[in-house]
Amino acid sequence: MQRLIRSRTGWLAIALLVVMAAFVLRLFQLQILQYGKYTELARASQQRQFIIPAERGKIYMMDGKTPVPVVLNQAVYTVIADPQSIDDKERSQLVDSLREIAGGEMTENVSERLNNKKSRYEVLAKNITRTQAEKLKKKNFAGVLYQQSSIRNYPEGELGAHVLGFVNAAGEGQYGVEGSLNKQLKGRDGLLQSVTDVRNIPLTVGKNNMRIEAKSGDNLALTVDRNIQNQTELALKKGIEAAGATEGSVIVMNPKNGQVLGNGELSDLQSGGFCQAENGSVFVDSASMVPFEPGSIIKSFSFATAIDKGVITPSSTYNNTDCIKVADRTMCNALRGLDGTMTIQGAFNNSLNVGTITAIRKLGNGSQINLPARQTLYEYYHDKFGFGAKTGIELGEASGYIYPPDSAEGNEVRYSAMTYGQSMNLTMVQVAAGFSSLVNGGQYYKPTVLVGTIDESGNLKSSENKVIRQTVSGGTSSQMRTMLTTARRSSFLSKSDKSGYEIGGKTGTSEAVVNGAYTQKGNDCYIYWLWRWKKWCRICHNGTCSGSRKRD
Amino acid sequence: MTNTTTFTSRRSHGQLRRNQNSTRFQSQVKLGPVAHTVLVALMITVLGLIYLTQATRLTAYGYEAQSLDTKITELSAKKSELEVQNARLTALEKVKNSNVASAMTTTETHYAQ
Repeated sequence: MQRLIRSRTGWLAIALLVVMAAFVLRLFQLQILQYGKYTELARASQQRQFIIPAERGKIYMMDGKTPVPVVLNQAVYTVIADPQSIDDKERSQLVDSLREIAGGEMTENVSERLNNKKSRYEVLAKNITRTQAEKLKKKNFAGVLYQQSSIRNYPEGELGAHVLGFVNAAGEGQYGVEGSLNKQLKGRDGLLQSVTDVRNIPLTVGKNNMRIEAKSGDNLALTVDRNIQNQTELALKKGIEAAGATEGSVIVMNPKNGQVLGNGELSDLQSGGFCQAENGSVFVDSASMVPFEPGSIIKSFSFATAIDKGVITPSSTYNNTDCIKVADRTMCNALRGLDGTMTIQGAFNNSLNVGTITAIRKLGNGSQINLPARQTLYEYYHDKFGFGAKTGIELGEASGYIYPPDSAEGNEVRYSAMTYGQSMNLTMVQVAAGFSSLVNGGQYYKPTVLVGTIDESGNLKSSENKVIRQTVSGGTSSQMRTMLTTARRSSFLSKSDKSGYEIGGKTGTSEAVVNGAYTQKGNDCYIYWLWRWKKWCRICHNGTCSGSRKRD
Repeated sequence: MTNTTTFTSRRSHGQLRRNQNSTRFQSQVKLGPVAHTVLVALMITVLGLIYLTQATRLTAYGYEAQSLDTKITELSAKKSELEVQNARLTALEKVKNSNVASAMTTTETHYAQ
């Protein structure tokens, strides 16, 4: 050993051993002790995560029995430039090309942006179409990039804007169907985790690669028929202009299944043009979100309740007076001078408040709307017709309110007023859904704007809207149809009725409360139903037609 | 080097069972430690080359998949643009203001009594 140490070879061996030991120790430190740290560093520099955006579901309206798209996704591009990479020669060509191809989608001061040599990121145009982007790409400008994104497109313009709602910049649905069914429309984003090359292109090598496919949102088909919706909006606009009204809403519902066929609103709100709106109230769908005092259309429900409980019939009579005493108040008819014996049908035709109060008093002791009468009325209004409770329609919705009979506010005076539609706040959707049950045999359907989904092949998968409850008996419903038809025929409104249709309806007027007092300004409502009668003709040998009628 | 084969009778080693081989052949070729090392190194090299080939091919597939993804995205964009154009051309307002609709005449409707 002593000889080895003393020799040069020995020294070299020892030096090599020390160096080797140093290497081994360093490798041990890097690969064993700091394994986790360096693995993490390598993963961070080599691996990327990409979000695979889910395609938002499209929205369709019906055109008869055919679904037609009213909200689509459109691929659009943002044109981005790196001013430092653009030649001076190309700059003017780029501006000219943008002006020619992108036109109104160009951002302001494009020339100045391109001259800003300190910047490396300037947006030159937003939301250009794929065709426009392709034209620009063909020009092959250096330093210009195209970033793809997706926006909602509304091919029908402002049609049904309140029903549809919009999608905000964060991709979240707001108002209308976009808001209430956002989760269903949005789908679920996917994830791609992968090792990438220097250009960030995912590679298939790597043991931690992961790909979770995006799940597109559902394509929803609405019950709203675009033709009915269009006519509804036109009719509303004309009606409002003719009446000099400031606001108006129309809802068209199929009483046989609760499907909303049209929902018109007076507003210049453009679908997708939410950015231009100066007042947030323009987004509100009044039919479902704004409770109102419905007025005398509620007499249909009051008489239906009394008929269903068997205390009156349409031909029952009572002694009509202009006014009636209710506790310490006096309540009067709008139409005076009809004193004397009056049938319930007559009270309905002339919309007599005294007649409605008298009918509902019969639910109690006959002389007042006492607690049992109020409880019965509340049971029908709230529990059966669904007044003062959310209906579950797939739109933003207010619940409205009616006072319970056992509350301090739910006294005889209030309930007397409620028999003719005052002192209560309901939404149009609630009234329409309840009214549908009055004329369809007593079956209450949840009001809905959703008919089903459209699969990838474009086929409609419709879901059945089931009956939720029975409001009145079939017999009562039949009597109500007769009452409503008779009331319509006795009204001046029937003069414009087209033959071939059976129409029943009830007017309603209520005064608006301003600063706690009723004013002359108020709500005018009309609720009606119609059946179309088809006449099936059989051509006889003498050329005349005969046959039976079929309700459609 | 010559190859020789030795025959060893196993009958003499003990009792044999039925269908059991009674002879065995033993190669006389013997590999030394250097040959072993070279063979192992060769095997490792070949396996390494196979791994590298497969990894490169995988990477190439990755580029191909990426290219197909890009193509799918482009075609989807084209499809969505066509859908939008189709929907715009068949929109109510468009149809109402079309030349065909303008040229139409209204007819009198008779309803069944």
